[in-house]
Amino acid sequence: MGIAVLAHIIVVMVLSPLLLGIIGKTKAFLVGRWGPPLLQPYYDIGKLFRKGNVYSTTTTWIFQAAPVVFMATVLASSVLLPLGGLKAPLQFWGDIILFAYLYGLARFFMTIAALDTGSSFEGMGASREAAFSCLAEVVLFLDFIILALLSKSLVLSRMIEGNILSSWQLFGPALLLTGASYFLVLLAENARIPVDDPATHLELTMIHEVMALDHSGWDLAYILYGSAIKLFVLGALFVNILIPFHGLSPTMQTMIFWGGMIVLAVGLGIVESCMARVRLNRVPQLLISAFVFALVGLLVVLIKGV
Amino acid sequence: MNFFLSGLSILCLGAFLLLFTARSPRSQGSRRISEGIFLSSLISGCLLGSVAALGVLIHRVPIDYRLNLRMPAGEFYLGVDPLSAFFLLTITILFLFAGVYGCGYLKDDKEKNLSVHYAFYHLALISLMLVVTAKNAVLFLMAWEMMALSSYFLITFYDEKEAVRKAGYLYLIVTHTGTFCLWIMFLLMVRQSGSLNFDQMALASFPLPLAGVLFILGIIGFGVKAGFIPLHIWLPHAHPVAPSHVSAVLSGVFIKTGIYGLMRVLLIVKDFPEWCAVTLLLIGMISGVGGVLYALGQHEIKKLLAYHSIENIGIITLGLGIGLWGQIAHHELAAWIGYAGALLHVFNHAIFKGLLFLSAGSLIRATHTGEIDHLGGLLKKLPWTGHLFLVGSLAICGLPFLNGFVSEWLVYRALFEGLFHFKLNGIVWSSLAVISLALIGGLAAACFAKAFGAIFLGNSRCVDITRVKENSALMYVPMAVLGGICLWIGLFPAVMVSFALRASATMTSSTISSMTEGMIIAPLGTVVLGLLVAVEIMAILILFKRISTKFLPVERAQTWGCGYSMPTNRMQYTAASFAQPLLDIFRNVLGYRVKGSKPKGYFPGEGKVSSHVTEAAEDLVFRPAFELIKSLSAKLKIIQYGYTQLYLFYIFTFLLILLIWKMV
Repeated sequence: MGIAVLAHIIVVMVLSPLLLGIIGKTKAFLVGRWGPPLLQPYYDIGKLFRKGNVYSTTTTWIFQAAPVVFMATVLASSVLLPLGGLKAPLQFWGDIILFAYLYGLARFFMTIAALDTGSSFEGMGASREAAFSCLAEVVLFLDFIILALLSKSLVLSRMIEGNILSSWQLFGPALLLTGASYFLVLLAENARIPVDDPATHLELTMIHEVMALDHSGWDLAYILYGSAIKLFVLGALFVNILIPFHGLSPTMQTMIFWGGMIVLAVGLGIVESCMARVRLNRVPQLLISAFVFALVGLLVVLIKGV
Repeated sequence: MNFFLSGLSILCLGAFLLLFTARSPRSQGSRRISEGIFLSSLISGCLLGSVAALGVLIHRVPIDYRLNLRMPAGEFYLGVDPLSAFFLLTITILFLFAGVYGCGYLKDDKEKNLSVHYAFYHLALISLMLVVTAKNAVLFLMAWEMMALSSYFLITFYDEKEAVRKAGYLYLIVTHTGTFCLWIMFLLMVRQSGSLNFDQMALASFPLPLAGVLFILGIIGFGVKAGFIPLHIWLPHAHPVAPSHVSAVLSGVFIKTGIYGLMRVLLIVKDFPEWCAVTLLLIGMISGVGGVLYALGQHEIKKLLAYHSIENIGIITLGLGIGLWGQIAHHELAAWIGYAGALLHVFNHAIFKGLLFLSAGSLIRATHTGEIDHLGGLLKKLPWTGHLFLVGSLAICGLPFLNGFVSEWLVYRALFEGLFHFKLNGIVWSSLAVISLALIGGLAAACFAKAFGAIFLGNSRCVDITRVKENSALMYVPMAVLGGICLWIGLFPAVMVSFALRASATMTSSTISSMTEGMIIAPLGTVVLGLLVAVEIMAILILFKRISTKFLPVERAQTWGCGYSMPTNRMQYTAASFAQPLLDIFRNVLGYRVKGSKPKGYFPGEGKVSSHVTEAAEDLVFRPAFELIKSLSAKLKIIQYGYTQLYLFYIFTFLLILLIWKMV
C-alpha cells in the first residue's frame, strides 16, 4: 500500500504543473500570442528552488511552516482520489470529510501565515480568502450530498466511480447542475478568473496572490507547486464527476481521464480569457449562485426519488 | 462506587476545611494552607471521580447507590450509568486542570478572600457530580439549584465592578426561569409514572402528546442552561466577567449539564414525535451558525470564546437531533453514531474550550487587556500560551490531527446515515444539517484565524508588550496537559470514541456489539493513516528545504510595506477588518453596522471606525419584552396605596368571592 501511495503522489507531482502550462498556452493562443512554453511552470518552480529567502523580522515559525503544511495536505488529499486507471490507495467510509477538512487545515495555516507578516496587504488577502472559502465549502458539501445520495456511498472513489453512468442516465440534469456548481467552486478555490486573477500582482485586487506576497525562495516554490497540485486534484474530481468513463478497461479509462484533464485545462484557459474578474463584493453572489445550482440539483434528485 | 463516594466526600471535607481558613484571608500563612487544602482535595477528589467514571465506561456495568439520608422529599439515590460516567469524566478532568490553573491565576490577588472562592469551587464540583449521577428527581433539582447558586458566587468574584454584578443577576434570573420549566416538567413526569426515581420513570410509557410537552419544557429549561439561541443571552455577559478558570469550567462543563439533562429526559421518555427531532436539528443549526457569526463580530477575546461555546452547543444538538431521529425511525446506527458524536463533542469541547479560556486568561493576566484589536505579536512573548492557543484553535475548528475533527466526523457520519436511510423529511433535514455544519466549520476557522492572528501574530497594535512575560508553570502546565489530551484524541481516537459509543448505547437502551463498534471506529483509523502520510510528506519537504537552504542566502528584513517610508503597527489588519467581508455578507442577519469618520482633506489626519453587531435576542426580543412587562406592571400600581386597611379589604373580598364560588 505504501508503494501505491508513493506512485500516486509521484504521478500527481510530476503531471500537475503541466495543467498550468496548458492553461497559459490556451490563454496566449486566444489573444494571438505564442505564449510561454508548456513546461514554464516547471521552470518557475525550479528557479524558485535555486533562490534564497528573505524573512521578515515580524514572522514566526508559522510563516515557514505554512507552505509545507499547504503542500503536504494537498498531496495527502490527492491520495484519496482515483486518477483514471489508478485507484485511490486510501479509501474509507467518510473520506470526503477528511478531503474537505485537509483543505481547511491548509487554508487556516496560509491565513495565519499571512497575518504573521504584520502587513495589511496579506491581511487583506487573508480576510477575503476566509470569507469566500466559507461559502465555497458550503457549496462543496452540497455537491457531496448530491453525489452521496446518487451513489448511496460515502467513499469518494465510490461516489464518483460507482454507478455514475446510470446516475447520468437517470439524473442527468442533477449531475449537470452539480457539475456547474462544482466548476464555480473550482474557480473560487483555485484563484481563477472570475474570482481572482492569478496573473496580476496587484494587491488590492487579489485574494490568493496577495496572501503569498512575502514568501520567497523555497516557501514560494512550495506554495506555487501546492496550488498547481490543488488545481490538479480538484480538477480531477471535476473530470471524474462529469465524464462517466468507469466500467471500461483501465487503458481506456486512463486515456479518457487524461484527455478530460487536458480539455478541462483548455476550458479553464478559455473561461479566463473570455471573462473579466468579478468585482470583489460580487464574489459572494457568484458563490451563492453556485449554491442555488446545487440546490436545484438536489431538488431534482429528491423529487425524482432516490 | 466506592471511588465515587470517596471522591465526593474528600471534596466535601476540603470545602468544609477551607471555610476555616477563610477567617483570615490576608495572612500569607493561611493563604498557603488554603491553597494546599484546595489543591490536595481537588486533585484527589477529581482523580477518584474520574477513576470511578472510567471504571463504569470500561466495564459497562452501571453502579447504583442509595443512601439513607433524611431528605425533605425523595431519596438520596445516586447511580453512575455509562451516560453519567461520560459526563462525570468530563467534569472531573476539566475541574482538575482549571482548578490548578486557577490557583496560579489568583495567586497575586492580595485583597480577595480566596478560601471562600475555593470552597465555592468545590461546592460547584460536588453539585455537578450530584447532578449527573442523581437518579431521583428531587435530588436532581436540589443539586441543580446548588449548582446554579455556587456558580453564581464563582462568577461574581470581582463583584466590585458593576458589570460583574449585573451579569451575575442576569445569570441568576435566567437560570431560575429555566429551573421553573424543569419543575413543571418533572411534576408532569412524576404524575405520569407515579415515581420520583428515574429508573421507575423509564419503565412508564408516555403518550406522544405528553412527550411533546415534556420535550418543549425540557428544551426551555435545559436550553437556558445549555445556551440555545435565543435563550443564550446570559452567556456573553457571564463568561467575560468571571475569572478565567471559572469561565473555562462554565463553558466546558456547566452548560453541558443542560445537554445531560436533555439526554436524560430523552432516555426516560423514549418515544417522541418526529417534530422533536426536527426541532433539535433546527436549534442546532441556528445556535451553531448564529453563535459563530456573533463571535466573528466580537472585539473582546472572552466574549468571542463565549459565543463559540454557543456554536459548539449547536453542533452537539445537531448530533442529538440526528440521534433522536435515528431512534424514532428505528435506525440504530444513526442513533448510536449521532449520540456518540454529540457526547464526544461534549468531552472534546470541554477540553479545547477549557484550554482556550485558560490561554485567554493567561494572556489577559500578562497584558491586562482582552481587546483583540489592541494586542499583537504575543507569540514571541508568551510562547506557551500562544502555542497552546493555536492547538485549541485548531481543535475548535475541527481541523485534522486534533480532537474536534473526530467528533465532527462522527456527527457528519450520523447525518449522512440519515441521508441514506430516512424518508424524504429526514433527507431534507439531514442535508440542511450537513450544509450548516460545513458553514459552521468554515466560519469557525475564519474566526479563530482572526483571533489567533490578531493577538499572537504580527506586531502589537496599541499595547506596549516589551515587559510582558510568560506566566508561572502552575498556569501553563494544566494548559499543556489539556492540549496533549486534544492531540491524543485526535491521533488515537479509538478509546474515547468507544467510550462515547457505550454511553450512547445507554441512550437507546441497547448494547453495541464489538463488531459494530469496530466498524464505526475503523474509518477513523484510516484517517490517522492519511494524516501519517501528510506528516511524512511534511517531514520530507522540511528536510529538502533544510538541506538546500544551507547553500542559499537567507536574510532577515522588515516586512515589505509597498515602499511606504513610515509604516506603523497601527497599519496592520485588525481583527475587525479581517472579519469585515464575512460580516458584510451576513449584515442583515447580524445587524452589523460600521460607523466612523474619515480623515478630511488630502493629507493624513484623524479618523475613527467602530463596528458593532446587534445581539438580536437580547436587544430585539427580551429587553423590549421586559420593558413591556415593566410598563404593564407599573399600570397595576393603582391598586397599591400603602394603606394596610386597603390590603386587608382586598384579602377579605377575595375570601368572600372564594366562599361564594365554593358554595355555588
